Amino acid sequence: MKRLIYILIVVIFFGNNSIAQEKDSIFDLKNYRTSFSFKTVKQEDNSRLVEVEFLAKNKKDRKDKLPIYDAEIKFYNDETLLGSAKTSKDGIASLVVPEDHTYVTDEEGNITLKAVFEGTDGLDEEEDEVTIKDIFLKLDLQEIDSVKTVKVNAYSIDSLGTEQPVEEATVGFFIQGMLSKMKIEEGDISDGEYEFEMLTKVPGDTIGNITIYAMIQDSDEYGNVSQKQTINWGAGQVNDDTTGDGNKLWSEAAPVWMYVVLTILLLGVWINYLYTIIHLFKIKKEGKELDVTM
Amino acid sequence: MDINSRKKELVKEFTPMLQKSTFASKIWMGILVFLVLIGLYAFVVQVTKGHSVTGMRDNVVWGVYIINFIFFVGLSYSGAFISGILHFFKTPWKNSVSRIIEIITVLSLVIGPIFILLCIGRLDRLHYLFIYPRIQSPITWDIIAIMTDLFGCFLYLYLTFIPDFAILRDNADENTPAWRRKLYKTLAIGYQDTEPQRHRLEKITRIMSTMIIAMAIVAYTVLAWIFSLTLQPGWNSTIFAPYFIIAGLYSGVGVIILAMYLIRKYFKLEHYIRKVHFIGAGVVLLVISLLYGYFTFSEYFSRWFSHKTSDVDLLDTLFSRYFWQFIFANYIGIIVPIVILFFKKFRNIKSITFAALIAVAGLWLNRYLIVVPTLETPYLPIQDTRPEFIHYTATWVEWALSFAGIAAFLLFFTLIIKFVPIIPMSGIIDHEREVDTHRKKRPYAEDK
Repeated sequence: MKRLIYILIVVIFFGNNSIAQEKDSIFDLKNYRTSFSFKTVKQEDNSRLVEVEFLAKNKKDRKDKLPIYDAEIKFYNDETLLGSAKTSKDGIASLVVPEDHTYVTDEEGNITLKAVFEGTDGLDEEEDEVTIKDIFLKLDLQEIDSVKTVKVNAYSIDSLGTEQPVEEATVGFFIQGMLSKMKIEEGDISDGEYEFEMLTKVPGDTIGNITIYAMIQDSDEYGNVSQKQTINWGAGQVNDDTTGDGNKLWSEAAPVWMYVVLTILLLGVWINYLYTIIHLFKIKKEGKELDVTM
Repeated sequence: MDINSRKKELVKEFTPMLQKSTFASKIWMGILVFLVLIGLYAFVVQVTKGHSVTGMRDNVVWGVYIINFIFFVGLSYSGAFISGILHFFKTPWKNSVSRIIEIITVLSLVIGPIFILLCIGRLDRLHYLFIYPRIQSPITWDIIAIMTDLFGCFLYLYLTFIPDFAILRDNADENTPAWRRKLYKTLAIGYQDTEPQRHRLEKITRIMSTMIIAMAIVAYTVLAWIFSLTLQPGWNSTIFAPYFIIAGLYSGVGVIILAMYLIRKYFKLEHYIRKVHFIGAGVVLLVISLLYGYFTFSEYFSRWFSHKTSDVDLLDTLFSRYFWQFIFANYIGIIVPIVILFFKKFRNIKSITFAALIAVAGLWLNRYLIVVPTLETPYLPIQDTRPEFIHYTATWVEWALSFAGIAAFLLFFTLIIKFVPIIPMSGIIDHEREVDTHRKKRPYAEDK
């Protein structure tokens, strides 16, 4: 497997002239087909992430996926070049378009984004595009009559600059954990709004802060949109130290049975040693007595 | 039988071994002292420059030192075990080999732990192990077990020496230096070989022989637990304790056969160490080699079959980087002794000694393969670093100290057998006394 990856890396890295050399090797590119998937995420600061995942997948073994790295990907909004990026070791190329960028839109306000790989001698040209509507999420966390309420507003801005509520979209809510996000709610936005009562007894970090995410994911109409907010709604961490460890392997004092067993074992052995030494002294004493009588 | 005159005869027979120094023996001692001195120099280099002069690094923190430690300590425990068994069951041919085994037991238990001290980066903190012991730690168990075992083995060895010290004290001739006479007198602690003294000594020797069998099992089990209680691939095994005990016995019997061969040849003791002793030891080695082979197969087969990633990585390392070592340790080192010892026609002194040599070398290598490849395949590999930080190769300092350890072992062995006869005289007397008693009880038995 590692060998295949190295060979593929060589193919990409040396681009134009490498494929001919590789024909003799055991690796055959014909067994693989490329996968070029493009997505866009509107991030929390309203900037937009455009990202391509470029992989080679084995036609027979679906588990056999190889990242294609160092491939140059160009990102376009219609015909306007937004920028370019090279795929990483994981086969991912990404670009962040700033919040204040003005996109080219069609009559209905849709933005068309396109990612293009122009190809090498070893790999064919690839292209993928998405058409989405630019929307905004506004997350509002409030305590209404002592009830912690999470509210999200989704809207787009028309050509006149007025907010137009999103009619329909599915939104998920998550809490940031140590390694990943935990889903706590999912619902449909209607008339640009969705709200729910926040879970109680969420621990939060050391000072009780929790970060809540509202996310629209893989929507045909809006792509991926994310918004987050941190609030001191967590219960805080329980200080385990107050309970103490007791006699565990890792605590300062060993488990009691360990002391008991060790004491029994050692006493059992050392008492015998002592018994032997006492008898040696007796032999010595007998010897002395014999010396005297002789 | 006049016991006193028989004792005199025996002293006369064995005294040249104790007092005569040939040119060859002087050369031999000189070589051993030279090797020990080189080791001391290497030790000074290691202490002043630190462990960077060894091959041990971040990944492989244990090298040949720990392997020598396991090997020597295993030798000691097996010696204690075998010696205890021979005494406890009053094995008929024990007299010819028992002292060799007892000396090996004590010396290897003295030399072995020195190697673990060499592993310690901060020797200045050694006393912390005693000041701040953690009863939960197998290292602490090992310290307690080794110290208890060392004391017990010394005591046991001393008990078996007392009658000979008494014989040497009572029969010293005019050529015996004064210091020797004085030392024999002190160490004999007034033993006069009277019936009650003999009975008392026999009783406590039997008790101590049982104790050292138990201690050998406990201590070597604890040593195995130092490895198997971790989660390291190749170490985390439930059968490690019995496996270590069998492996220890395997090396122990092997080294005893080698010692028997060399002592027999050098001191011309064909009369005492006979072919029958070699065949007896060879059959014991055969049984242990079958058990050892079974444990080794079981250990590696279960690892291979379980197919855990870390175990597969370890086996890959063993079958690539350590291929020939693995073949020698676990195929040649087991199968060759089995083949030689299994067929009666192959069983002669030289072939049995050769089988023992292969067994000992194979086992040392097996210990190496338990320690080093596992440390070279950790769960969390260190990435983007120099190969010498990941792979282990012993340096001259480590080899010098290893050979110095072996030389010190041989030097002490040579010195001890210059002080007490390698064949226990008291054992010969006891045997003859028993035969005599038997004859008196059944005067016509032999005529029939």
